[in-house]
Amino acid sequence: MGFSTGLAISDLNDYIAPSQSCVVSLNADSKVKLEDDLDSEYGAVKLHSRQPAKQESAEKKSDPVKISLQDCLACSGCVTSAETVLLEQQSTEELNNKIEQGFKIVFSVSPQSRASLAAYFKTTPKQVFGKLTTWFKSLGAYAVLDTSCARDFSLIESAEEFVHRYQSATAGEIPMLASACPGWVCYAEKTHGSYVLPYISATKSPQQVMGSIVKRYFAERHNLRPQDIYHVSVMPCFDKKLEASRDDFLAPAASGASGEAPADVPEVDCVITTIELLSLAKEKEVDLATLQPSVPDQLVTGLQGTEELHGAHGSAGGYLEHIFRHAALRLFGRTVEGPLVYKTLRNADFKEVALEVEGKPVLKFAAAYGFRNIQTLLRKIKLKKSEYHFVEIMACPSGCLNGAGQSKGPGDTPEEAKQFLEDVEAAYYHSEVQSRMPEDNPVVQQIYSEWLDGPSSATAKGMLHTQYHPREKTVGVSISNW
Amino acid sequence: MSPLKELHVLEGHEDCVWSLAWSPSGDKIASCGGDKTVRIWRPLHGTNEWHCAAVLEDIHQRTIRALDWDASGTRIATASFDGTTAIWLARGEEWECVSTLEGHENEVKSVAWNPAGAMLATCGRDKTVWIWEMQPDHEFECVSVLQGHSQDVKQVLWDASGEMLFSCSYDNSIKLWMEDPDEDDWVCTQTLSDQNSGHQSTVWGIALDASGRWLASCSHDLSTIVWEHGADSAVPGKGWRHACSISGAHDRPIYSVHWNCTGDLLATASGDNSARILVRDQAQKETSFQPVATAENAHEGDVNCIRWHPKVATVFATAGDDGMVKIWECAALDTLTK
Repeated sequence: MGFSTGLAISDLNDYIAPSQSCVVSLNADSKVKLEDDLDSEYGAVKLHSRQPAKQESAEKKSDPVKISLQDCLACSGCVTSAETVLLEQQSTEELNNKIEQGFKIVFSVSPQSRASLAAYFKTTPKQVFGKLTTWFKSLGAYAVLDTSCARDFSLIESAEEFVHRYQSATAGEIPMLASACPGWVCYAEKTHGSYVLPYISATKSPQQVMGSIVKRYFAERHNLRPQDIYHVSVMPCFDKKLEASRDDFLAPAASGASGEAPADVPEVDCVITTIELLSLAKEKEVDLATLQPSVPDQLVTGLQGTEELHGAHGSAGGYLEHIFRHAALRLFGRTVEGPLVYKTLRNADFKEVALEVEGKPVLKFAAAYGFRNIQTLLRKIKLKKSEYHFVEIMACPSGCLNGAGQSKGPGDTPEEAKQFLEDVEAAYYHSEVQSRMPEDNPVVQQIYSEWLDGPSSATAKGMLHTQYHPREKTVGVSISNW
Repeated sequence: MSPLKELHVLEGHEDCVWSLAWSPSGDKIASCGGDKTVRIWRPLHGTNEWHCAAVLEDIHQRTIRALDWDASGTRIATASFDGTTAIWLARGEEWECVSTLEGHENEVKSVAWNPAGAMLATCGRDKTVWIWEMQPDHEFECVSVLQGHSQDVKQVLWDASGEMLFSCSYDNSIKLWMEDPDEDDWVCTQTLSDQNSGHQSTVWGIALDASGRWLASCSHDLSTIVWEHGADSAVPGKGWRHACSISGAHDRPIYSVHWNCTGDLLATASGDNSARILVRDQAQKETSFQPVATAENAHEGDVNCIRWHPKVATVFATAGDDGMVKIWECAALDTLTK
């Protein structure tokens, strides 16, 4: 399982094979000159590392310590493998179990996964979404939904939040940093802590907006209890599994007949990546290429204009583009026509765009994808040298279409992989995927008025916003980190 | 007469000395270590007496593991176990920390300026190699974060062109990195491991000779290996191959290796407290090296670092666990090989 670079470096998935420090403590005979030996603060460890402990090591290996994913998220190191936990809690196997146990299975499919599958099967996003619907329904799915609708909410709320931050700009609120990428958010919490968190947009990611809607609004409309729904999200990214596991993303369960208060349930129960979905299809001997498409479900039924797919500008969800246009209009009365003109910085994954009013740049936005560009940006912010008002930060180079959970295509060579990524991009921006302002989505309008009291209302914030927590190093970490 | 002569003993560090570096002109030595300081040593004006001219301190919270001068001799970069890299600028005799680089998850083990002095490479226990580019006002942009090693990365080293970066690791391998314009990023172009007759244990140090054709590496496996860049290999960043392994010179791990400025002499420093000088055996058709001089008990403890003078082919310095930095003179090549 491949997490994004930030998480990989911060040792999240490091412990199936014990990390280097563990190797030393277990096989103390061979490589004893750890440089740390002479570092006085680490003297106690030095003794430990030199004790022969071979038997102990055998025991330890056969009986790994188990901890929950919440434990992993709540600390900046970890004791055992986050991968193992993730594989158990959010896997296609677990999905099979839930189907057998009679849960109402709701699938939410991300546009990036759709584009990857469309490229893989050399078809269109709409076709592939229809085929997925047929397959999921044959598995017993209660509903198959499109995450794009949740993204529209996320874009609207982000834009409102930005305008609010800009107008009340106090130190610490600008630049606003996008929050849709869980790899980035988790990295920020674990390694950069309190100084950077106030900059991160409080708006939930599309996945978690979808979770909020499915476990609350959708459940209510369908006379289902939140705990009866097993919500599966199909995503381009393994880090989304971490996001779904956060304590911040729980929905209250309905109480039973006897009035006992049941535990809260996750808004998203299981994240399946695009490549996991492909393996599941293989395992179930489902040939998506030959399946007949059927019509996906809608969050709100009976509305006009919901039968076509709608897209956003930008492979990472279109935050920069939407917020830029929205802010230009709201704050400066400027309508930005045509495509935005970016200036590419150090590499193609770091670019900026500005709005000038009377020769002065009044809005300066940037997109920074990939770990190296995040480093440069964080450095600027920390030294208070950032000139940006908003930055769309994503952990993966090329953004979400190139997510670690995406199919790499049928080929083996780097050239084929590159071509495949281009095909995925083409599918993402396919002509049948219509461009539309998020506010014009009738489903969004309906849910805002029926359930949320309009954009940026207290209710909307309660349902569509979240918060972040610095992850302080714990005792356990300092031990595993020596 | 012994072929090795101890010229100067530089005392001042209050803990083991991990690393030393000559200034580009050879007029100064900078050293660092467990006492979290950098000391700048130079001869007193008009004399041959070396003294400590400056102490750089109060920035790093833990051991300073390594340091490097930039090509101008006005900047020093330091790598610390506190996870940061610091940039120090000389203003006359005074040194000021003008920038610190964060990003490594934990201990930074090595730092190296490229020859042009605009790029900085670092590596560390988080298994990564980072490349930074210096901007005006000592601002730094992250050019690349390279993942490829499976364990702690011990040292980074640029070639003379600044186009190739070498790293060596606790994973027993040496990796070469180059910029790939198609990828818009740096990539690993070659790995030298036991599959290439390489090391069986931690590679502690690497050094290139002046011609750029020979790469030496030293290891916990008690051997030093010399690698040759094949003249027939047109592809830069590939074509390195094992030329010879030198065993038996040390009976404890070898922590440091360095070529002198003419590329005739190879020096190694070891946990057996000694420093050795090796010379290529011209009588042999196959590449091979012979020890020609040894400083037994060069230090009272591990010898952690050995570096030749950048201009004088017979002078080198060592740093050790005993807290000392020592300057040595070695007999000339023709005397050594007589």
